[in-house]
Amino acid sequence: MTYYLITCRSLTYAQRAERILGRAGITAQILRSPKSISGDGCGYAVRVSERWLSAAMKTLKQEKLGSIRVYQTLSDGSYNEVEQI
Amino acid sequence: MIYFDSAATTLQKPSTVGRASLYALHHLSTPGRGAHKPAAAAARVAFDCREEASALFHVPPERVVFTFNATHGLNIAIKSLVHPGDTVLISGYEHNAVARPLSTIPNIDIKLATSAPFEPESLLCSFKEKLSESVSVVICNHVSNVFGYILPVGQIADLCRKRGIPFILDASQSAGTLPVDCEALGTAFTAMPGHKGLYGPQGTGLLLCGENAPVHTLMEGGTGSLSASMEMPDFLPDRLEAGTHNITGIAGLLEGMRFIHGKTIGDILKHEKTLVSRAVSGLSSMAGVRVFAAEHLFCQSGVLSFQVNGMDCEEVGRRLAQNGIAVRAGLHCAPLAHYSAGTLEEGTVRISFSAFNTLREVDYFLRAMQEIVKNK
Repeated sequence: MTYYLITCRSLTYAQRAERILGRAGITAQILRSPKSISGDGCGYAVRVSERWLSAAMKTLKQEKLGSIRVYQTLSDGSYNEVEQI
Repeated sequence: MIYFDSAATTLQKPSTVGRASLYALHHLSTPGRGAHKPAAAAARVAFDCREEASALFHVPPERVVFTFNATHGLNIAIKSLVHPGDTVLISGYEHNAVARPLSTIPNIDIKLATSAPFEPESLLCSFKEKLSESVSVVICNHVSNVFGYILPVGQIADLCRKRGIPFILDASQSAGTLPVDCEALGTAFTAMPGHKGLYGPQGTGLLLCGENAPVHTLMEGGTGSLSASMEMPDFLPDRLEAGTHNITGIAGLLEGMRFIHGKTIGDILKHEKTLVSRAVSGLSSMAGVRVFAAEHLFCQSGVLSFQVNGMDCEEVGRRLAQNGIAVRAGLHCAPLAHYSAGTLEEGTVRISFSAFNTLREVDYFLRAMQEIVKNK
């Protein structure tokens, strides 16, 4: 199954994103961003499945969560940036 | 023991507070410091606490900053907004947590808006009169820690908003007993302790930051975010939360705030006013006792000051302590408030209530006071 990582600028923002998505009925899970995509280090992301990505992005765009980036997890374990807000 | 010193620290806490802190001590590590269960559990508790504060005080959770107490938060607020050479307008009821940080900033002009206690209209007039164009920041406490006097902060906030002047609110004595709506007030910063009306453990506090307030760090260090950068993150709450969190305290604070939410803030204030009313009535009937109370308690919270003619306030406090009654005597770290009330020389004896005090305790206190006055 394809997953997407929505990276947030801090743990608190990731937690807020997770709660917002949860209240919208969208399953999301917080995790530490992989080092390869965390830029300045120690970032956080929420993981959603492909099924929920569109709804998740629509929901998050309505909130003031600062800049977020979306990465697709690839079969070889790498990540491909697909969107930036 | 009868504990009437909740304006300093509430001693009786909901039982869930201690349990949560003890659980945190053994099971939680630090938010944002790992992918393991103890770190994730700590992160959940911290965020739950931010959300609880968000619901109580109307500020987004990411702008809820954990501090060690209200003084810590006020220092951040003041040092973020007040610069050398600025003019600052403060009320005549500020605590040293405001006065002392201001005194460290060079060449500032501190204007005092004041009036006698329990005269909100006069105080408001003084604020209007002194809010000149040169004023760059206004600081006001919501409730005087000495007199329980509820200051007209809504109107003061309106004045500031109309003139575009940042407003810092010290909610040390109001958080948990009075509504504190940061959004409606438009505060640049609101500081509050966790260990008073929020019923959390000592060593906790909250700084609620306004949307556009510039934020100056008091401490720098690890935040678990942007770790490759040598500079502090520019976003909240990380910018103001360097180092390991007091998660045992935060876990307790969360339960304290849940207790507040469950009881509703109006209920606690009503209960405390009932106790103050009984105390005012009893003390006022004693010869030689001067009571500082608002007429019909219209602008008074659960704090009451009094003096006994011919007795040092510390002696009254000592004798009450001998009777198993804990009160606070002296200047209460608020000489400005005593200056405004004309009690700077003598100080006062202060009793202050919480949701856990009872009328029976007040009656016991009044009997003890009758004996003290009789045998002074």
